Amino acid sequence: MTLAPNEHLPDQDRPPDVEPPPRVRRARAMPPWWFALPALVLFAFVVLVPSIRGVYYAFTDWDGLDPSFSFVGLDNFADMVRDPDAVQAIRHTLLIAVSITVIQNALGLLLALGVNSAIKSRNLLRVFLFAPAVITPIVTAYLWRNLLSPDGAVNSLLGAVGLDGWRQDWLGSPQVALWSVVGVIVWQFAGYSMVIFLAGLQSVPKEVHEAAAIDGAGPVRRFWSVTRPLLAPALTINLMLSIIGGIKLFDQVYALTGGGPGHATDTISTLIYKDAFTLGEFGYSIALAVVLTIIVAVVSAGQYLVLSRNERAAS
Amino acid sequence: MKTRIPTVLPAVVTAGALLAACSGGTEAGDSGGGGSKTLTLASVDQGSVEDVVKAFEKANPGVKVRYTTSGADQYQQQIRTQLSSGTAPDVMSVWPGNGNPGATYVLAKPGYLRDLSDQPWAAKMPDAIKSVAQYEGKTYNAIFGQNGIGAVYNQQALEKAGLTPPDTWKDLLEFCRAAKAKGTPAFALGNQDNWVTQLVQYALVATTVYGDDRDFDKKMQAGQATFAQSPWTTALDKYLTMERTGCFQKNPLGTNYEASQGLAATGKTLGIVQGNWVIALLKGKNPKGTFTFKALPATDDPSATIVPAAAGAGYGVNAKAKNKDLALKFVNFVMSPEGMNLFVKKQGGLPSLPDTGYAVDPSLTELSKFITEDRTVPFMDQLWPNPKVQQTMLSGLQEIFSDQSTPEKVLKEMDADYKAGS
Repeated sequence: MTLAPNEHLPDQDRPPDVEPPPRVRRARAMPPWWFALPALVLFAFVVLVPSIRGVYYAFTDWDGLDPSFSFVGLDNFADMVRDPDAVQAIRHTLLIAVSITVIQNALGLLLALGVNSAIKSRNLLRVFLFAPAVITPIVTAYLWRNLLSPDGAVNSLLGAVGLDGWRQDWLGSPQVALWSVVGVIVWQFAGYSMVIFLAGLQSVPKEVHEAAAIDGAGPVRRFWSVTRPLLAPALTINLMLSIIGGIKLFDQVYALTGGGPGHATDTISTLIYKDAFTLGEFGYSIALAVVLTIIVAVVSAGQYLVLSRNERAAS
Repeated sequence: MKTRIPTVLPAVVTAGALLAACSGGTEAGDSGGGGSKTLTLASVDQGSVEDVVKAFEKANPGVKVRYTTSGADQYQQQIRTQLSSGTAPDVMSVWPGNGNPGATYVLAKPGYLRDLSDQPWAAKMPDAIKSVAQYEGKTYNAIFGQNGIGAVYNQQALEKAGLTPPDTWKDLLEFCRAAKAKGTPAFALGNQDNWVTQLVQYALVATTVYGDDRDFDKKMQAGQATFAQSPWTTALDKYLTMERTGCFQKNPLGTNYEASQGLAATGKTLGIVQGNWVIALLKGKNPKGTFTFKALPATDDPSATIVPAAAGAGYGVNAKAKNKDLALKFVNFVMSPEGMNLFVKKQGGLPSLPDTGYAVDPSLTELSKFITEDRTVPFMDQLWPNPKVQQTMLSGLQEIFSDQSTPEKVLKEMDADYKAGS
């Protein structure tokens, strides 16, 4: 027979029924803050200080080269509002970010549900579907640039199966190019979302599903009432990652279309690059970067608040 | 980026720095040791500077050149960062004129380049080249080669189609129609890479704008002329006429530079409108092919045709070079007949100085003739006041080709950027 820790002691020998001393408990729960000091110093030195110093240039007319430049206040931000390229780039960025977030996660969830079933080749399928996510984005972008060229494999395939009318100048037509970029990114990262959803799905206890099935719940009902609430944390992670990635999008766009034709696929990031390195407008470009940072911070904070409330409601 | 740093070099450099520090000053250290033997160099002449470095090292026993090469985009970022942080190499690639982030005016204005006016070759430069190698009357750029823009034909494809290169505007359109009828469009156009969009335009502007008015740039600078109110509109109209006539393959906006080379090299088109530098690349894709450079006509009078021909990127000396003497020695080697011929032969261009004893490649005979007859103008952007004018034109041309903009609108935008000045 096992005894609870103090059960065998006479009453008078029991320690008083109080909490352990707070100092000791807190020490166990959280290591002293100065443990993080070396990392904090390094972070401050390499990331924080340069970033804050960099922000200063957003209020100057620095060209990236000339040591003499002047403080121009909010001029760069005012120019941005008047700059049709910047306004258009912000619109594209938000459109791309939202489309990617929706399509990539919907597809990722479907794939996860698929490969979570008991089919024989599911492990092989998981590997195949996840494979694009481990390739460097720039490589996949160059690959797709060739596949999507007017004489490329995609158009040849469409021709071969009799869908001549669907053939497009995928990257050269302003109406289509933006969606081609979205398509390539979804192709690459749907597998990534899938893996996170898969981890969520596998944490759903079988017994709960079985109990629901015995109670007469069909597959749709089981997904909605049992699986979905338990997937909430995976959904939060996926949505956060894809919206932040979508807003910051640079390399795939730059390699696929260079922001073109014209400015039809420019995002804030490609515009930052062009303004800084092609036009030598560093001050303006850093102002754009500051705006990008603010957009990322606001969108991800808002999203986090909404999603974590949903998560609590679901659990 | 290709980097070549022999493993012993860091040690040598460190030792050198320590010695210099011990002797109480970097200058003293250098001269005390009979001059440092290491030159640092950053270059955009990928594939050709390697040979020049080898020849320079051979001509100067004991000297080591530590160099990096990179593409233009990457180089322009790198050199700006290095210059503003004081870590730039002794010698660096510098573009002629103005209008790009690594150009002579842009780097000389804040004082990053050493004045090279006292070097022996500076006075020998032809005027057209001098104008873009100088800033405020002083020479800063050792420009060793020049290039032209025109039609480069695939001889085998021409013979197969039974056509000959046109030398009037009327014949050009006839040539395009005939070529299209035979199923091989006249020219490959790789407008997905936006810098390519300007080449046909420049080739046409040379004749339509500068044929009647060699002082057009001076008028622009004085505010007496605009793009929108000049024959720039004629040239743009001809560009679009070529497109409508079927001079180019389908979907030029989905075709990149690399793909356009493939089309011309393998005879899927009869040629390509490009700089003469494309000849070496076409030969790389089809070693058996013969490619010839011809002017692109824009009027019906062949004697009025003018070719855009301009100085290519040259070399400048860092105003704060750690090894001034060796830097000057290298630049002078580049400008010597030996260095210059090595460079232009490998790049498929023409030397910038006369009397170098250079045997012109047969594919460039026509370009060489235009240059000696003074029937050339510099690339238009080299004398524009800021890089924005060109960028507006490049994306504007893509927008015109995809019906997002109109020629009038683009030319007006270019005028606005031009007026904004430097």
